[in-house]
Amino acid sequence: MVKETQIMQQEILKYILDHKVSFSGDIKKQDKLFNRVALDLFDYQFHNNLPFKRYAQSQRKTPLVIKKWQDIPLMPIQGYKQLTLATTKIYDGEAVFLSSGTTDPNHRSHNYHPNFDIWDASMKFPFKQYVLPDRDEITILGLFPDETINPNSSLSRYVSKAIQFFGDTNSQTFVNKTGIEFYKVIKSLKQAEKEQRPVMLLGASFSYVHLLDFLKKHELQFNLPAGSRLFDTGGFKGLSRTITEQKLFQSIKNAFNIDRNQYINMYGMTEISSQCYDETLYDVYHRQQISYYKKFPAWVRVRILNPNTLQPVPDGQKGIVAYYDLANWHSCLAILTEDLGIKHGESFELLGRIGGAESKGCSIAIDQLLSVNQ
Amino acid sequence: MFDIFNVPANIRFKDFDKKVYHLDNETYQLRYPILKTSDIKNIILEIKQNRLEYLSQLPISNVITIIDQAITRWTDPSYPQRQLALKLLPVITDYDAETIKLEIKRFIRLFRKKELFRFIENELPQSEILDDFHPQRSGSMVKAFGPEATFQVFSGNIPGLQIWSLIMTTLVKSASLGKTSFSEPLFPVLFTQTIAEIDPQLANCMAIIPWHGGTVSLERIATENTEATIVYGSNKTVQSIRPLVPMSKIFLHYGYKISFSMIGKEALTADLYTQTIKQAVEDVAIYDQQSCLSTQAIFVENHGVITPIMVAKMIAAELANYQTKRKRASLTIEQSSAINRERTKYQLENINGVSVQVFTSTQNTDWTVVYHASPGFSSSPLNRFVHVFQIDHLEDVNQYLKPYQAYLQSCAMAVSPTRLFTLANQLGEIGINRVSALGEITRAKPGWHHDGHFNLLDLLHFIDVEPNAEQMSEKYDPDVE
Repeated sequence: MVKETQIMQQEILKYILDHKVSFSGDIKKQDKLFNRVALDLFDYQFHNNLPFKRYAQSQRKTPLVIKKWQDIPLMPIQGYKQLTLATTKIYDGEAVFLSSGTTDPNHRSHNYHPNFDIWDASMKFPFKQYVLPDRDEITILGLFPDETINPNSSLSRYVSKAIQFFGDTNSQTFVNKTGIEFYKVIKSLKQAEKEQRPVMLLGASFSYVHLLDFLKKHELQFNLPAGSRLFDTGGFKGLSRTITEQKLFQSIKNAFNIDRNQYINMYGMTEISSQCYDETLYDVYHRQQISYYKKFPAWVRVRILNPNTLQPVPDGQKGIVAYYDLANWHSCLAILTEDLGIKHGESFELLGRIGGAESKGCSIAIDQLLSVNQ
Repeated sequence: MFDIFNVPANIRFKDFDKKVYHLDNETYQLRYPILKTSDIKNIILEIKQNRLEYLSQLPISNVITIIDQAITRWTDPSYPQRQLALKLLPVITDYDAETIKLEIKRFIRLFRKKELFRFIENELPQSEILDDFHPQRSGSMVKAFGPEATFQVFSGNIPGLQIWSLIMTTLVKSASLGKTSFSEPLFPVLFTQTIAEIDPQLANCMAIIPWHGGTVSLERIATENTEATIVYGSNKTVQSIRPLVPMSKIFLHYGYKISFSMIGKEALTADLYTQTIKQAVEDVAIYDQQSCLSTQAIFVENHGVITPIMVAKMIAAELANYQTKRKRASLTIEQSSAINRERTKYQLENINGVSVQVFTSTQNTDWTVVYHASPGFSSSPLNRFVHVFQIDHLEDVNQYLKPYQAYLQSCAMAVSPTRLFTLANQLGEIGINRVSALGEITRAKPGWHHDGHFNLLDLLHFIDVEPNAEQMSEKYDPDVE
């Protein structure tokens, strides 16, 4: 690995270790430091990744003219599907995360990772702060395949690392190649219930739809001890059926005895290398007013943009999530997502994926044509 | 307060809802009834009864005259309904006010008396066959009947378009139940008001009401109690209504379509190219490509004075001009995102070495031109987003169009007379059903076989009285010698 790359990684790792968690207090002061590292990283990515350089140039943006992190060109998610975005030469067997390709199976995002030093550091600290603010470890019951089953999934690696870093000896995942092993999940839940040992269920939103269905069908309910929590990621929108949020929390309460305030949602994706969490659990355990919005770690910035102008919208207004992530050192630090969000001060609310556009009449829009041909 | 529904005088509603719009300092409240299935049933009973007593007896020449009189009122700039339409439609639809004014004026003239005769005589041997038995070449005496009542599901993409269907059903002497979209619930209501001013009895055979599409209970009652259903709109709309229509009844639908343009080298000479560019842009800009008649891609032939890439750049410049004159409607988050997504796709292809160039408005999604240096075909995310494909010979287009065959509709052409029919023939082979001049694609003409089909014939059924029946009946004439 060339020296420049090592120096860049060290700079980011130092930044993460210096902050460890979400910032609190003076964001302006911290912004100055974030800005410096972000511009260094932009300069590094610009000079070490030709497709990115070309893209930045096509947006008339080069390190010479960019002085603020807000002006760094945003790589649309699609870039990870159409271009090879890597600042070092991809070696044989290098780890790569692929998106599930739900929208277009022929084009899946590729995010390469020559090492995971920064990824791991970026994962650990916010997880501790927002998911386990009250304890160092917990029984993690994973409803999503781990990295041995799904080596190209960033979420699978995340699940494995969560168990490795924060899971006690009873922790494991319950997914084999055919799906969730419901009976084993139930056995573990019963065990935990009997021993009055708090557990954390960890899975993608759709895993819960299946699990809740299964429990309902078999008339199973658990009275999990206090401190148990339910962690999910993804979104319930666009799944086999739509569930109102309220109904969902009610069925979670009924099935596991887990309250709304013990529910936490994580925002992450293949194309980035950090995660954002609901502040709910943090607020509960610090006995402060409970917020259900998301916080980003100190090495991340989130802006909400007007989809027409791609300029920021005022707080409280809907827009597209633009995600700036120093941990994404190897590809692009600034990503234009396809998610809809609202900014609330230094937190943000996630509203889910932007849907396809439909025309008002008989003129077929391309999104519709795609869905017709699928 | 204005009612965006119009039903026969005997029909009363109890509960209402409203939509509120603001224009300058005025507030407009558009009121509509909250419908129960029994309402729909009663309305259909009422319009059918009125039809039986009146419209079914009304000679076709009178029907034509009444519609013509209504159209004549609408051609008067001081006509209150027209003024109201031109004031409210831009607020409701967000389309540019000038565009609406111009296009409504043009559209309304499609239904003057002479044009109505064109519609009819294009499909029927004589219009009186709708009134009485007339002898046909076969020897039989034939009369045509329309459905007792026709349920029409209107789309909201093009203001005013609803009356095309409304007039066709009236010409076949069918009562009409029109379900409007909240995207444009106004025009058919105003038009039926005009009919009521001229002939209240005819207006009593029509009911125009908005409700939210996909309200199955209402739509089921409507399809089951009428004899024909016509659906305009997306495939989603069509698919939601189709299963509700009993097998024995008529079901017509006008779903997804894509239109495009072809510019021959002969239209790109030094003296003609500026005009050509302007015309090409009209086809893209009017109603922001929301019409299925709008151009989504343009084939530009090589070897003109102006090269295809220059044409693409000039189209971009003209779209920028057009935006200053007539603004595009503001978009939803989904629509803007679709444009950004498609722009990105081609920008990234360009970085990957594909010979594609993207020209866009700066800092917003107002307009987009994607130039493709190799021929092909692509549809657009709409809202003034057009593809330009360079091609050596327009005669080669079929191979690129073929994959989209099921969706192709109109083609705007600027080519020499020697090529026009050769190209039209070739396009007809793969299902294109309309060729217009460049710049005229959004304005279909009276009698056009809409999506390749009949306007009236598909709604009609005929009875033939054979000569032997006539001869036999003569025998029973008590006065026969």
